[in-house]
Amino acid sequence: MTHMSGPIINDTPTKTTEKKITIDPITRLEGHGKIEIFLNDQGNVANAYLQVPELRGFERFCIGRHVQELPVLTNRLCGVCPAAHHIASTKALDAVFNAEPTETAKKLRELFYMGQYTHSHIAHFYALAAPDFVLGPSAPANKKNVLGVVDAVGVEIGAEVIKHRSYGQKVQEIVGGRATHPCFGLPGGVSKQISEEERAQMEEMAKSCVEFAKFTVKLLHDVVLANQDYMDLILNQDAYYLETYYMGMVDKNNKTNFYDGDIRVVDQTGKEVEKFKPSEYLDVISEHVEPWTYMKMPFLKKVGWKGFTTGPSSGIYRVGPLGRINVCEGYTTPLAQAEYAALAKTVKDLGVTGPVHHTLAFHWARVIELQYATERMLELASDKSITSDDIRGVVNEPTEGVGICEAPRGTLIHHYASDKDGLCTKINMIVATTNNYAAINTSVNQAAKALIKNWEVSPGLLNKVEMAFRCYDPCNSCGTHALNGSPALEVNVRRADGSKLETLKNF
Amino acid sequence: MTDNDVTRGKKILVVGVGNPILSDDGVGIHIARRLKEIGIPGVDIEELPASGLELLDMVLGYDHVVIIDAIVTNGGTPGDVYNLEEGDFERTVHGASPHGVNIATALALGRRLVGDRMPSSTRFIAVEAADIVNVSENMTPAVAASAQSVVDELAAELTRD
Repeated sequence: MTHMSGPIINDTPTKTTEKKITIDPITRLEGHGKIEIFLNDQGNVANAYLQVPELRGFERFCIGRHVQELPVLTNRLCGVCPAAHHIASTKALDAVFNAEPTETAKKLRELFYMGQYTHSHIAHFYALAAPDFVLGPSAPANKKNVLGVVDAVGVEIGAEVIKHRSYGQKVQEIVGGRATHPCFGLPGGVSKQISEEERAQMEEMAKSCVEFAKFTVKLLHDVVLANQDYMDLILNQDAYYLETYYMGMVDKNNKTNFYDGDIRVVDQTGKEVEKFKPSEYLDVISEHVEPWTYMKMPFLKKVGWKGFTTGPSSGIYRVGPLGRINVCEGYTTPLAQAEYAALAKTVKDLGVTGPVHHTLAFHWARVIELQYATERMLELASDKSITSDDIRGVVNEPTEGVGICEAPRGTLIHHYASDKDGLCTKINMIVATTNNYAAINTSVNQAAKALIKNWEVSPGLLNKVEMAFRCYDPCNSCGTHALNGSPALEVNVRRADGSKLETLKNF
Repeated sequence: MTDNDVTRGKKILVVGVGNPILSDDGVGIHIARRLKEIGIPGVDIEELPASGLELLDMVLGYDHVVIIDAIVTNGGTPGDVYNLEEGDFERTVHGASPHGVNIATALALGRRLVGDRMPSSTRFIAVEAADIVNVSENMTPAVAASAQSVVDELAAELTRD
C-alpha cells in the first residue's frame, strides 16, 4: 500500500437554517433514491425516510408469457444482480414443473452463483465501502470514490480488484452462457454442459480468487478493525445499532448456503423462531404499505407490523450479509469459518451475546462471505464430475411453485403459477432490498437522529447518515442505469412545515 | 453525427447499453440489435444490459469504441440525439452505482489501471428518453424514430471506405 495520510473521519459542521434535508440521489446506490430528513423547531431530527422510485407494469408484462421465459425476463429487472434473479427464477421453475435438478446441474448452478458473489462482493467492498473506510466518511466528495481508493491503496491492488471481479464474471459466462444476463437455467437443470478445459480454467481462476479474498480480509483488519476511530463508529449504538430479527438461508447443519436450503429466522437473542421451506414463505412474511414510497415493507407475520421500531414486538427483520451471519452457525469452508470465528471472538470480547446488531458489521460479514464464495467456487470447480452430460432432470406438468436463493443483498423470493400450457397466470417477487426496506428506513432514521443535532449539518455528517443504509448495499433499481451517471442521491433537510432548508446532491 | 476519429482497419466496437424491457431505456440495445442484423464488416457489436465495470471488461483490447445509451437531461426533448466525448462526463465521474461505478468512472479507472489495453478513442451517442419507468419492449414514437436515424447514420459511417 502506498503511503497515505489516513482517512478523514470527521469534518466541521455548520449551522443550517432549514428544517428538511434531502439526500437525492443517494451516492453509490443503484436506482434513484432519496433521503428526506425533517428537523423540528429545535433543529434536531424529527424523522427521516428513504424513498425509492417505481418501475411500473412488470407483473402485467409477465402474465401470459411462457413461464420458461421468466428466468431471462426477471433477470432484466436489474443490471446489478441478474444472476440472483436467474437462479431464484430457475428454482421457481423447478417447483412449478416439479422437476428435481440433477446433481451436475445443481453443482453448475451453484458454481455459477459463486462467480456472482465473488464479483458482487468485491465490487461492493472496494467501490462502495472502501471510500468510507479507506478515505473516510468526511473525505472531500471529489475524492471519495473508487479512483480515490486506487490512489490511496495503489494501482497494483486496483488492478487485482479489476482482475478478480472479472474472474467472477468469467465463471458466470462460462457456466451461464452470458456474464451479465445469464440464460442457462431450465426447470430440472441447465442448458449447457461444460468441458474439462473450461473446468480447469475455472479452477485456476478460483484459486486466485481465494487468495484475493484472503488479502481482502487482511485489508479489512489492517485498515478498519485496527483503527480505533472506525471501531468507535462501528460500535456507536446511537447511530448504527438495531435489535431486529434476522433471516437467511442455511443448509441442514445451519451453515450458510447461498444457493439452496431452508430459510431460518432468529430473534434478537439468536433463538430460532422460524425455519421454513420456500413454498411456506407466505405463512411467515406479510407486506406493509406506506403512502410515501412505492416499495412495500415485509415483516414477520406472526409478530406483526408495529411501525419503524425494533425489539421482539416488531416484525422487522434484516437480510443480507448481516442477516445471514446472524442466522447461521458457521461456514462449510475453512478460511471463512476461521474468519467467522474471529468475528465471533471480537464481538464476544466486546460483551455482545447473541446476534451482532451493529449495522456497520454488514461490511465484515460481507468480506467473510467473499471468502466463503471463493472457497466454495474452488471446491465446485475442482470437482471433475461437473463436466458430466447429466444436466437435465425429468420435467412434469406445470402448476405453481416458489424458488428462493440468497442474493448478495439478501433473501430473494420468486413465486409463479402456470396454466396447463405453461403460461404464467401469477407472479410475485420479494427481492432482497425489499426485505430490508423497513430496516433500512429505521437505520436511516436512527443515524440521522444521532448525528444531526442543533441545526448542525455537514457533508461528512450526511455521508455518515448514508453509511447507515449503504452497508445494506441497497439496490432499488432493477433496470436503472444511465449514461449520465444517474445512480445518485439527493439529501433534503426540511423544516417541520416541509419547506426545504438544504439540499445536497451528487449530480 | 461527426466522423470523429473512427479509423478503418482498426478494431472497432459498438456497444448498446440499456434495458430492453424498460421502454426507451432500451434504445441503445435496440440500435445495437439492428446494426447486428445489418452486419458491418470489421465492426463488433455488443449489448450491455448493465454499466460500469462490465463495460470496462468489454472495451479492453479495442482501438475505437462507440457507446450508445439512453439519457435523461433537464428539459431535454425526447428523441434528441447527443454526440458526446469521454471528457463530457468528467462531472459525473464521481457518482457511482453499487456495482460499483458508472461508465465514466469505469473508463477513468481503466485508463489508470490497464491503460495500455484501453481504446484510443471512446465516443458516446445518447438519445433523450421519454419513458424509463414503464416495463415494455417498445420505445416511444419519437425515440423509435431517432433510433432508426442513428442506425442509418452509424451504419453508413462505419461502412464508409
